[in-house]
Amino acid sequence: MSEPTLSAAKSAVRMNDAMLSSLRPPTLRWYLLAFFLGGVVAWGLYAFGYMVSTDMSCTGLDRPVMWGVYIVNFVFWIGLSHSGTMVSAILRLSRANWRRPILRAAEAMTVFTVTIGGLFPLIHLGRNWVFFYLIPYPNQRGLWPNFRSALLWDATAIFTYIIGSSLFLYLGMLPDLAVARDRCAGWRRTLYGALAMGWRGTAREWLIFQKASTLMAALIIPVAVSVHSIVAWDFAVTVVPGWHSTIFPPYFVIGAILSGVAAVITLMAIIRKAFHLEEFLTPLHFDNMGKLLLVIALLWSYAYFVEVQTTWYAHEPIEWEVFSFMAGRYTPALVLMLVGNSLLPLTLLCFRRIRRSVGAMLVISLLVNVAMFIERYLIIVPSLSHKNMPFVWGTYSPSWVELSVTAGAFAGFALMYTFFAKCFPMVALTDVRELEARKVLVPFARAELPSIAGKEGGDD
Amino acid sequence: MKRRTFLQLGGMTAAGAWLSGCRSANERLIPYLVSPDEGVTPGRAEYYASACRFCPAGCGILVRVSEGRAKKIEGNPAHPVNRGKLCARGQAILQELYHPDRVPQPLKRTGPRGSGKFTPISWGEGLSLLAGRLSALQRERSTERLALMTTQLRGTLAELADRFVAAFGSPHHIRFDLLAPDWLRAANRRSFGQASLPWYDIAETRYLLSFGADFLEYHLSPVHYGFAFGRMRQGRDTVRGHFTYVGGRMSLTAASADRWMPVRPGSEGALALGMARLILTESLYDAASMAASGLWPERLAAGLEAYDLPQVAQLTGLPQQVIAEVAREFATTPPSLAMAGEMVAFQDNGPEAVRAVQLLNVLAGNLNRPGGVFPGGSVAGPENSFADLLAFVERMRGDRIGVALIHGDPLHTIPPVTGFPEALARVPFVVSFSPLLDDTALQADLILPDHAALESWGDVIPPVAPRGTVIGLMQPVVTPLHDTRQFPEVLMATARELGGGMAAAFPQQSYLEMLKEAMKKEVHPAGGIDFETVWVDLLRQGGLFKTEGKGGKGYRWTAEAPVPAPAEPRFAGDDKRFPLHLQIYPSTAFYDGRGAPLPWLQQLPDPMTTVVWDSWVEINPATAAGLGIGFGDLVEVTSPRGSLHLPAVLYPGIRPDMVAIPMGQGHRGMGRYAEGRGVNPLALLALADNGTGPLPAWNATRVRVARISKEGNLVTAGNPEGSYRGELIEI
Amino acid sequence: MEKQTSPYRWGMVVDLDRCTGCGACVVACQAENNVAICGKKEIAEGRNMHWLRIERFWVGEYPNVRARFLPVLCQHCRDAPCEPVCPVYASYHNPDGLNGQVYNRCVGTRYCGNNCPYAVRVFNFYSHQWPKPLDNQLSPDITVRPRGVMEKCTFCVQRIRRAKEDASGEGRLVRDGEVQPACAQTCPAEALVFGNLADPRSRVARLVRSPRRFRLLEHLGTHPSVYYLKGGGREHV
Repeated sequence: MSEPTLSAAKSAVRMNDAMLSSLRPPTLRWYLLAFFLGGVVAWGLYAFGYMVSTDMSCTGLDRPVMWGVYIVNFVFWIGLSHSGTMVSAILRLSRANWRRPILRAAEAMTVFTVTIGGLFPLIHLGRNWVFFYLIPYPNQRGLWPNFRSALLWDATAIFTYIIGSSLFLYLGMLPDLAVARDRCAGWRRTLYGALAMGWRGTAREWLIFQKASTLMAALIIPVAVSVHSIVAWDFAVTVVPGWHSTIFPPYFVIGAILSGVAAVITLMAIIRKAFHLEEFLTPLHFDNMGKLLLVIALLWSYAYFVEVQTTWYAHEPIEWEVFSFMAGRYTPALVLMLVGNSLLPLTLLCFRRIRRSVGAMLVISLLVNVAMFIERYLIIVPSLSHKNMPFVWGTYSPSWVELSVTAGAFAGFALMYTFFAKCFPMVALTDVRELEARKVLVPFARAELPSIAGKEGGDD
Repeated sequence: MKRRTFLQLGGMTAAGAWLSGCRSANERLIPYLVSPDEGVTPGRAEYYASACRFCPAGCGILVRVSEGRAKKIEGNPAHPVNRGKLCARGQAILQELYHPDRVPQPLKRTGPRGSGKFTPISWGEGLSLLAGRLSALQRERSTERLALMTTQLRGTLAELADRFVAAFGSPHHIRFDLLAPDWLRAANRRSFGQASLPWYDIAETRYLLSFGADFLEYHLSPVHYGFAFGRMRQGRDTVRGHFTYVGGRMSLTAASADRWMPVRPGSEGALALGMARLILTESLYDAASMAASGLWPERLAAGLEAYDLPQVAQLTGLPQQVIAEVAREFATTPPSLAMAGEMVAFQDNGPEAVRAVQLLNVLAGNLNRPGGVFPGGSVAGPENSFADLLAFVERMRGDRIGVALIHGDPLHTIPPVTGFPEALARVPFVVSFSPLLDDTALQADLILPDHAALESWGDVIPPVAPRGTVIGLMQPVVTPLHDTRQFPEVLMATARELGGGMAAAFPQQSYLEMLKEAMKKEVHPAGGIDFETVWVDLLRQGGLFKTEGKGGKGYRWTAEAPVPAPAEPRFAGDDKRFPLHLQIYPSTAFYDGRGAPLPWLQQLPDPMTTVVWDSWVEINPATAAGLGIGFGDLVEVTSPRGSLHLPAVLYPGIRPDMVAIPMGQGHRGMGRYAEGRGVNPLALLALADNGTGPLPAWNATRVRVARISKEGNLVTAGNPEGSYRGELIEI
Repeated sequence: MEKQTSPYRWGMVVDLDRCTGCGACVVACQAENNVAICGKKEIAEGRNMHWLRIERFWVGEYPNVRARFLPVLCQHCRDAPCEPVCPVYASYHNPDGLNGQVYNRCVGTRYCGNNCPYAVRVFNFYSHQWPKPLDNQLSPDITVRPRGVMEKCTFCVQRIRRAKEDASGEGRLVRDGEVQPACAQTCPAEALVFGNLADPRSRVARLVRSPRRFRLLEHLGTHPSVYYLKGGGREHV
């Protein structure tokens, strides 16, 4: 079976052209897309503005369900942000070369999703205009935020993660910016010039770059794990039946990686099509990502099983009540979640043909994220609906405001991504070229085959 | 200047400067620098004692007034009726004072009756309008064409109203209250020869047996008896009083009972007599009490021959064993106490059934002993105001009433089956004194709005007090908000306007003066003590509370009293077309409907159903399942009189052959919070045909129920499913 | 256990054998604390603002059915789940053992509301209005809470504060029964008793020693200051 690999005769210039193709002047279609997304974002902002200027009665929240779709979004987006870390950092450390064409997309996604996710706790505040009470700023009255609150841990972790992943993205982009600088004129040249910080590509610079990248990759992983553990603690440290569970932190991390990896696959499929990068994003990449998704779906299924099984076995009345309520009222959602997160990936991704089919992978990855959104919903809402006091049980359904803000968030993410793709190299140019450079012809029987398993590091 | 004052001023100046962009700083500063009138201290509340006239119980209240505004109503600890406690309704009358839809000044009708079109007029104009109508009657020498209709007033107000009508030359002062204890006075007269209302010593009893007496909700004096109930349960070291409730619907009172006996409606009297017979045949009676009442056990037992256990069990639908057990417990747990209430009295055979319950007290020796029943210190009242009402309706129908002065809201609280609404429509001139545009005021030609209770003077004589003289005093706690006048003042002013004999009947300048004179008679201030001092003292403590005093003549079964003989109950509507009994009961929050305009009470979840802001019909879940009715479904309740649409509540505490609807909602007016909310179930009531004359048998109507749709729009404060899951919190 | 720094530990005893479910306490609380008036729509949405509610449970089936009442107010837990989760210290523990709520500080994360197992915290989803002249009834001692703020039972802290000021002016401690929240003050059956649990001779402290005592959701380890006394005696269910 022949792999569509890069042609050995490909010149650096041609590669640069192909991979920087996204930077070409925007087409009408791009503008239409940007306008459409902008419109949805504006609608979301209007809904938010409406909520802030009237009151929170326009949401579907009530007592006892005081957290709803906003917090579902928060957990979901923070989960998505694990894409960049997972794909980029872990694969970098494990020196999986197939990561190279997709790591930029994944890292950028991390930055945007964590930013959007981080906004939701502020959006959901009853008094958004005093959000700064949450920030530890020195003040005359000596009022500080409460560091015993999991929400403050969240704030800390998310800020760290935003800063860390932004640096990670920026660091990786540095040589590419220099390339872009050299090829551009006008304001772009000024912009890339400033951002490239005078990168010239000397050996010393490369050496430092290598070290820094590896170090950042190593540092960002614990941050990512901690971020979603802390998000899980928002729930696990409470006394809400259905939330108070020790499995939550690892379960949430696994869920986050699952949705992150799925989101990367989705993006890969879209970018590949949109920027005609078929040459660089090959079915091989989808195959590898599919394997990764399969493993994580397995892990997720295991964690979910453990969570349900312990609750079922202990049969603590109120906890079991929450589960029965959830299974009864949200049966279709529950089934969709189990199919999307477990059943479908576990069966289909075992087949190489499916893993290598871009269309199938797109469908599966989208389904995984729909299911993950449902999973967050089913964790948050049913538990609150049937809390300890049966007399004040309630229900929740999101209002137009919450749905609009959610739509705005999705559109906002897409819009940021669209802008980013137009302004910055979407494919990690230097990484790919480095791979090309390392490519050696490996004698295999009588033929010489290209290998992509070149060694990294400065010792060869 | 003290440091504190300086800081205060400094702070205010700063705040004033900050706010000066939107309003004048002086506006905010002045109240702090120049102290307001009337000795008001900013930030310091004053308490004024007064009395509550919301329901007839007449509790004492303390009103917390801060900066000239009433803020909170609490019970008056010195008042012997409520001892510092107060029910939900009493606390909510604050909102009567500050109701946003009060009638701010006299109104004259301009549109057709009921259209709600009125023009504001001045008091001078209003009074001369009324006086003109009255003097026309005088000129025509048909003064009997004036009628004054009020609730059952007591004290000076009753005296004044009576005097007004009498001086005018009319015999028509109708005092009708749907829930008034006329039936109890009448039964007491028949059994004990005295019409005084009883006082039940619930606190000291060991076995309480209530036959449809909802003493924790509205029966006679709910706060007084609620207090006693707490003491009966846990007020004694070693005794916990037992409580059994007899009635087809589990009322709020019944919910506190240890045993609930869901008896067939109308068979309560038979049950009481069955118990009496068992007590007699098993010789468990109190011989001394029987002798004192001049009853011969054998003769009495012979008279009750028909009520043997199997027969009673069949009539009541209760197991024989339960009836026997309760009868034995009642007779052998002295002191015990049997009470009869509205749910029994408002049956077709009510008057005799109530007496059957009284007989139980005689048998068990509960008359005039601690833990039993005493004659209350209360004044006498009407014993059959319902007959007066019917006669009055007849007169109105015959166009023999020219002017009707109405205090209260009879159009809402009198069942239309009496013919009252149509008859009132024939009266050429109707005057209402309602402070809100209630159903009656909407039909009136002239509205002369009364003060709110907290703006009024008055004396409130509770119907239930242990003994002695208890007179609660109402005093205005705030200056009147609107251009309203107190009802008695309006009567007096009208009398003055009419002049002649009318004016002479009211020598006092004001109602306050009359009130003071009446109180002066009550206290007989000792020589040398100025009455003004006494008066101020009385106002300060909230009234005259002489609780030691005389005990009064005790109860004794009179020789003439026949053995109670409740007839077989009859119901309006045949049991084929109308298979269910309808029970109408006063709402815990609204009493007979007067609480409906108060948002606190509308928001207060009904204790039993947790419904808010609505009416509902209670149906046994089994019956509902048979009719395909689910929780909150819209249903149609049809009686021989009419039909209503309202949401259904599945209520496990009601007999399957019964449905119940609370009173109080369904106002056509009464302000934004009550208007058009829920239904008035009185529209369903029919009068059972009884050869001996009309009886107020409000619980003797049959209905049928049919499901209309899912859209009942019922709101409950509690989760309907969760309400059955008490085991989750180990309750 | 923490060291007691105050001579007071306010607590309440709710005797379920006395409680008749009449609802007087609910209105008393609403009147005392400027609790907003909620219309039908608001309650239908699950946004009732009552700080104190009477829960009604049905047990059994007709004819052997019983209704049980359970007044539930803020339990003023010693180890309150609502307190640590508040990121801005709006929910805090005062030295007298009360769970305070600083309305000005509250940003409305509603985390405390989620973590309160008793569901006694209510959130101002609406911007509440009192149509004139109904606003005259608002007590000047208590803030009128703006929208977006969590609120809850305070054991009528304004009354406690006044009693403490009065007492300290006279150089003594607050006497037993001198201060009562509005609900306990009005309860006709005296089912609610309030007092200082730190004083072994107070009425609450004596009632708390009853064998009928229990606390709500005791297994959660919140150590509420509200004790309940079970309905006792012979029950014919």
